[in-house]
Amino acid sequence: MIREEDATGREHRDPGIVSLPEEPVDEPRANRAMFVLDGFDLYFGRAHILKGITLEIPSNQVTAIIGPSGCGKSSLLRSLNRMNDRVPGMRVEGKVLFEGDDVYGQSVDPVTLRRRVGMVFQRPTPFPMSIFDNVAYGPRLHGLAKRSELDRVVESSLRDAGLWDVVKDTLRKPATALSGGEQQRLCIARTLAVDPEVILLDEPTSALDPSATTRIEELLQRLAERYTIVIVTHNMQQAARVSEDTAFLLSGELVEFGPTDKIFRAPDDRRTEDYVTGRFG
Amino acid sequence: MRQRFHEDLAALEAEVEELGGIVERQIGDAVAALARRDAGLATAVIARDDEVDGAYLDIERRILDLIALQTPVASDLRLLSAILHINLHLERVGDGAVNIAKIATITQELPHDPTILEHLQEMSDIVRGMLRISLEAFTRRDLELCLKLPALDDPVDVLNRGMYRKVLNLAGDPAALEWGIRMNTVARQLERVGDHAVDVGEQVGFLLTGEFREFVDSSHKEPLTDGS
Repeated sequence: MIREEDATGREHRDPGIVSLPEEPVDEPRANRAMFVLDGFDLYFGRAHILKGITLEIPSNQVTAIIGPSGCGKSSLLRSLNRMNDRVPGMRVEGKVLFEGDDVYGQSVDPVTLRRRVGMVFQRPTPFPMSIFDNVAYGPRLHGLAKRSELDRVVESSLRDAGLWDVVKDTLRKPATALSGGEQQRLCIARTLAVDPEVILLDEPTSALDPSATTRIEELLQRLAERYTIVIVTHNMQQAARVSEDTAFLLSGELVEFGPTDKIFRAPDDRRTEDYVTGRFG
Repeated sequence: MRQRFHEDLAALEAEVEELGGIVERQIGDAVAALARRDAGLATAVIARDDEVDGAYLDIERRILDLIALQTPVASDLRLLSAILHINLHLERVGDGAVNIAKIATITQELPHDPTILEHLQEMSDIVRGMLRISLEAFTRRDLELCLKLPALDDPVDVLNRGMYRKVLNLAGDPAALEWGIRMNTVARQLERVGDHAVDVGEQVGFLLTGEFREFVDSSHKEPLTDGS
C-alpha cells in the first residue's frame, strides 16, 4: 500500500488504501512429536490401504485428517492405537512410533496402548448402564475400586468433558437417556477417565446437530491444552476451525501435511487445492 | 461439485474486469473534457459514476454472499479477497475521474496553459496504461506482468512532482494561478490512479502466490520535496 508524508513530514497511512494484514511469520514449533510415522504401509489382505505415510503428529494440539471417502483416513487414525489389528489379513510395513516406541513392536501391549491412546467414534456409544458407570467403566477395568477415588475420577472427567453441570444430579440415570451431543461428551468423559495422553476422534460430530457440534469443537480445543488430539473429519470447515495442522489423504497417500491455515489459504499441492475447494471429492 | 459457486466466481471476475474498463475510460474522458473544455463530456463522466457505484456495490454484495454461503478456501478464497480489494480500488479510480470532471467544469472560464495540459495528458495516458496492464495481469494470472507496474509508476510520480513548479510559474496572474492550482489537484488525482493500479497488481500477486507483498514500500521513498 502507499504511505506518504503529510505536511509535517510525519508518515501516515493513507486511509483510502485497503491493506491485508501482514503474513504471520512461521514460528518454530514448541510441541514435540507425539507420533512419528515413517514410511508406514497398511494392507488388509491384498488391499493396499495406506502407502508410505511419513508424518509427525505434534503433542498438545489438534491435528485433523481430511480426505474423500475411502482415502484411508480412518484406517490411519486406527493405526495409531492398533484398532485395525482384528481386520483379517491386516499387515503393516514401516513404523509408527508413539513417544519413540514402535506401536507395532513385540513388547507393546495393545490394551495399555489403547488406554494411553483413547478413541471416540462417529456415533455416540454409551454402554447400557448409568452415566456414572459409563465413566467409571474404564478405571474399574484397570483395577480402580475405591469408591471415593471413582467419585473423584468420574467428576473430574465429566467436568473436563463439559458435562458435569448437566448430569451431576442424574448420575444414576441411564446414559442412553442423554441427548446425542451429551452422549458424545459422555464418551469423551469415558475416554478421559482412564487418563490417556492422546484422544483419537473419528468423525465425532457427524451424527450431531450444529449446536452440539460447536460444543464438541470447543471442548476439543480446551482439551488440546492437556492432550494430543487427532480428528478425522468429513467436514472441512470443522478441520479449519479446530485444528492447528491438517493432513490431506488421497487413495492411501499423504498428499500434503501442514499448518491448517496454509492448507485452506494456499496449499502447495494441486490435489489439495482441488479437494478443499470442492473441485472433486 | 461446486460448479455453481465456481460459475458465480467467474462471473464476478468478469464483471470486476468490465468495471476496470469503464473506470479507465472515465479517466480518459475526464482528462479529455478538461483539455477540450467540453462541459458536456464532463457532465457525462459525472453522470456515469452512478453506473460505476452500482457495479461496485453489486460486486461487493455478491462477494459477501459467496463468503457467507460458500465458505470459500484456498485459491477460491484468495480470488474473492482479491476481487473485493480490486473492486474497491477501481471504485476509487472512478471517484478520481469524477473529481477531474468537476474541476473541468469549474475551470472552463479560466485562462489555461497548454504545457500543463500536455503534462496532464501524458500522466493520464500512463496511468490508464497501468490500469489496463494490472487488469490484464489479473485476467492472465501473470505475476511477471504485474511486477512491471511499480517501474511504470515512477514517471507518474516524477510528472506529479513537476507540476508544482509549473504551477508556480503562473503566480503572476491570479486567474491563471487559480487554474494551475486546480490542475495540481488533477495531477494528484492521476497519480493516485497509478497507485491504485500498483495496488491491483499487488492483489494479483497475492492471488497467485498466497503471500501479500507490497511492490513498493512508499514509506521508504525519497522525501517528496516539490510540495506534492
